[in-house]
Order: sequence, then C-alpha cells, then structure tokens
Amino acid sequence: MSDAYEGTTEDTTAGTRGLADDTVVRRIGELATGLFAMAVLGFLGWILVTQVDYGLLVSVFDRFVEAFGLVLFIVIVSSVLSVSLGTLMGLARISASPLTSRIAKGYVEFFRGTPLLFQLFVIFLGIPRAWPYGAFPVEDWRVPAAVLGLTLNHIAYVAEATRGGVNAVGDGQLEAARSLGMSRVQAMRKVVLPQAWRNALPAIGNDQIILVKDTSLLTVIAVPELLSVFRNINSNQFDPWTPLVWVCLFYLAMTVSLSLIVSLLERRADWEIDDDQGAWLGRLLGSFSSLGGRR
Amino acid sequence: MQRREYLKTIGAGAAVVGLAGCTGNGDGGSGDGGDGGDGGDTTTESGDGGDGGDTTTESGGDSQYGLENGVVTIGSDIPYRPFEYRTESGDLTGFDVGIAEAVFVEEMGLEYEFQKNAFDTIIPSLNNGNFRVIMSAMTINDQRAEKVDFSDPYFTAYQTVIVRTDSDISSQEDLRGVSVGVQRGTTGEAATEGLKEEFGGDLEIQSYDQITGAFDALLNGQVDAVINDNTVNAAFANQQDNVEFVEGEGAAAEQGENAPPYLTLTVENYGIAFRQDDDEFRQAVNEALAAVRESGRYDEIYGEFFEG
Repeated sequence: MSDAYEGTTEDTTAGTRGLADDTVVRRIGELATGLFAMAVLGFLGWILVTQVDYGLLVSVFDRFVEAFGLVLFIVIVSSVLSVSLGTLMGLARISASPLTSRIAKGYVEFFRGTPLLFQLFVIFLGIPRAWPYGAFPVEDWRVPAAVLGLTLNHIAYVAEATRGGVNAVGDGQLEAARSLGMSRVQAMRKVVLPQAWRNALPAIGNDQIILVKDTSLLTVIAVPELLSVFRNINSNQFDPWTPLVWVCLFYLAMTVSLSLIVSLLERRADWEIDDDQGAWLGRLLGSFSSLGGRR
Repeated sequence: MQRREYLKTIGAGAAVVGLAGCTGNGDGGSGDGGDGGDGGDTTTESGDGGDGGDTTTESGGDSQYGLENGVVTIGSDIPYRPFEYRTESGDLTGFDVGIAEAVFVEEMGLEYEFQKNAFDTIIPSLNNGNFRVIMSAMTINDQRAEKVDFSDPYFTAYQTVIVRTDSDISSQEDLRGVSVGVQRGTTGEAATEGLKEEFGGDLEIQSYDQITGAFDALLNGQVDAVINDNTVNAAFANQQDNVEFVEGEGAAAEQGENAPPYLTLTVENYGIAFRQDDDEFRQAVNEALAAVRESGRYDEIYGEFFEG
C-alpha cells in the first residue's frame, strides 16, 4: 500500500521536497524511535546487571505474590462494582428527570473533584471515629475501606464515560426508534445503549486500568499491597531496584491483561452491535479459545 | 495518676544518657525553638535568632563546612511528637528542634532549616544530597550505620507497647495473635517483626506511613496495640485517657538499665545521621553536642519537652 504511494511521490518530487519527503520523514521517525528504544533497553539492561540483587529478588518473591493476590482481589471486586454501578450512575446522569440527573451530577462532581487519597482517609479514619453506636463493628476495616473508596471514586468516572458514550449516539437514532412506536426506555435499551456501550468501552477500560494503579494509594491505609511491600524491603535492605523490579512486573501483569480484555470486548462490540447484550460474556469466553488461531 | 508515672520514667531515661539532675523546668528561656517560620504548608522552617541574642546571623559568603550561607538543612519525618511536630499555629517545635537550635545556632553560629521527608526513605534521601543531616529521633543501629555515620548518642529510648485501657493485653506473651500498628521503616516495626518471628508468625503487623496513622488505628479499634518509642507513646498516652502502656520488665531491666515500669522490648540510642564523607562536620557537631550538655542547655531542652 505504501509502496505504490511512495512510487508516485518519488516520480514527481524526487529531490525537491527535502524534509517533507515521505521516505525521509519515515526514516527520521524510525531513527528517533529506534534510538529511544535502544536508550531505554540499554538503561534497563544496565540496571538489571548492576543494580539488582538476584538473591534478594528470589527471596522476596513470595511476599510480592501474597500482596499481588490481595491487590487482585481488591481490583476485581472494585472493578465489577464500579463498572456496574457506574453504568447505572451514568444513566441517572442523562435521565430526563432533573432531580435524578442533578443528584447524579452532584455525585460525579464530588467524587471526581476530590482526590482519592482524601476519600480513603475519610472512609478509613473518619467513619470508624464517627460511628454512633459504640465501638466500630468491623475488626479489620482496611480492605473493606479500600474497596469502598476505589468503588465510589471510579463509579464517577465510569458514569462520565457512559454519559459520553450515550451522547455520542446521534439524536436521530432515538428519534427514529421513538417514531417506530417504542417507549423511551425501549428505545434506549434496544437502539441507543448497544451503540453507547461500544462508544464508552475505551473510556471505561482506560478508567479500570487507572483503578489498578490507584491501588498503590492503599499503602497509606496500611493495606499490605505491592508498594507497601517494596517500601518495607527498601527501608530494611536499602535496596530500591530489586523490589522495584517485582512491583513493575506485577502491575504490568494486571494492566496489560486488562487492556487485552478491553480490546477483546471492543472487537466483539464492533462485530455484533445490534446483538442481544446478555450473551456477550459467553462469546467473550469463546473468543479466548479462538485467540491463538487468529494471531 | 498514670501520667505522673510515665513522666518519672522518662526522667530515668535521661539518667541513662549520662546526665545528672535534669530538673530543668522549661521556663520561657528556651521556648522559642522554631518560631521563625511562617507556618502554613511550608515544609521548611528556618531557625535563626536564639533566645539570648547571643547568636549572630552571619550569612556571609564564607562557606563553613561547605554549607550554603551557613544553613544546615535537616531531614526529618514531621510529625513525631514530642521530637518534631507543629503547634496549633503551625510552628515547628520539639526536642530535635530544640537540640538543633542549641547545637547549630547557639554553639556553632550557623542557621538551620528543617525539611520534611518520609522516614522509610530518609537515609537514601540524605545520601542523595537532599539535606545535610538527619535529626528525626533516629535510632543508631548497625544496619543504618552501614549507610550513614552517626553522631554521639543524644537520647536513649525504648520500644514500648501501648494498648487501649479496655484491652486484655497485659504482657508480651499476650501479643500473640493480635494486630499491632507500627510506623513503616522504624525500629518499632523491626522490633515487631522480631516479635512476629518469635511467635512463629502469629502476629499481624499493620505498617502506617506516619505514627499518627497507627495511633488513629488504635483509637478506632483497627489494631490492638502500637509498638513505638517510649517517649512518643508516652506523649500520646498522656493525651488520651483510654490509652495506656503494657507494664512489665523487659530489655531495659535485662541490660541493667534504670528500668521504667512499662514493658521494654529494646533499648536504643538516637543519633544525628551524617553522610559518610562528612567527618569534619560530624566531629564539630559532636563537640557542640558535648558543649550543650556541659552548659546545662540539654537539661533545659529536655525539661521543656519531657517534663513540662
């Protein structure tokens, strides 16, 4: 494809365009990105050779696995809750009723407008202190507080993504559906939302990846997550790079597989836009098994 | 009632440091330790102008010990009451601040400036050149001494256990199976990890960023005990009616120290930390520290923060 294009360009403008020549631009781009990649790989290689203590790397692995299990649990629970409740909040946000939509807007403004760190402190330190019925009943409030904080915060972002997804569907779609005699709810469910889901998916996926990374803030409420393990090892061994290797790999394990899932969902949404929404999970599982063949 | 006991005990701690008659009453004489700053959110606070006008503010270009304008930058994890904390009006104060004032301003004719730094990264931060010394109630131990050089000890502390008054915990053995709050990177955390090993892992450690987080968790019922330096625990226990020390003998009694009435897990000495290539400055500070002790200034500062 590009060959044919380059051919014609060279015929008419060879030697006269200088920097604007397609081939030159392409080579400059390749040179720049190639140099960048080499610099990064060189740096990483140098760190791995000179800075990492491989004995320590092996001996702390179990502690990171333990922390990873906990983080994965928190991420999965918060993710399921925030996507499902956030979608509902997004629908409330675009409700025809001004009461519903204003309350939803207030929610979004508050939870998007204050830092997650603040929200975590309010939930973890504030709620037990303000508990009106004597001693706070939850013995270990750290993980519940973490899930609650992450969920409440990300509901706001998912709601905004959902709202954006619905707004991106042309007005004509709803009008056409209504003119066929559908009620507003029917038209939304059968015509608008399936398209909105596809529009909102990249933004929701993006937000869920941020949710994974937001778990690093849980270190301040004493949740033994990945950075907490890193800080403990670093403060005892004074060796930052060795534990940082595990922190990096474990976070990437979560975020990369999450973005894989999101791109799978996006592909499904592209093929079968007007299909029944209930069956997508079954097809997703099917697509995992056929993934090898397609690649 | 108990409050008085703790205070007496802290007095005993001073005897260990090698001081006689620390009855200084902290009268206004040394009260203006870190008043120079403008409060607010700023993390640095310069202290010049001591108490008696005996200080000169020579900010000349001569760089003594390689200091810029004669200002010693001090890394510290604030707040850690009563060693470094802010008053309600935002002024920095505390025992470390008082010692810094006496050593750097009054004895050495320099100025100082505190910089906030999280405790668990404070040693790398010193070695990266972010500040000149660490004064942060830092215990001298072998592991840290591999990375930094310490001044002569300027304080003796014990690792102690505090619990809520309605708690069943009354001895070291009772800590088996409970959850303990500590500050990340402190010797309190290390002592607790040692205890966990002793119990075969039957102990849960919750590591908070700052000791105040662990104290909050104790009040909120999230942890059953907090293990931390005696003086800091005492300041908190004195402030809170429903918090008390676990009593009993311990490491201090074993070592023949003048043992306090509460359980002591370890005995530790605090030092000022320097970079390892900073011998000339460290020596000068050691001399100033000795002079501060001899002149009775140390007792005054001590009285201000531990017997006031």
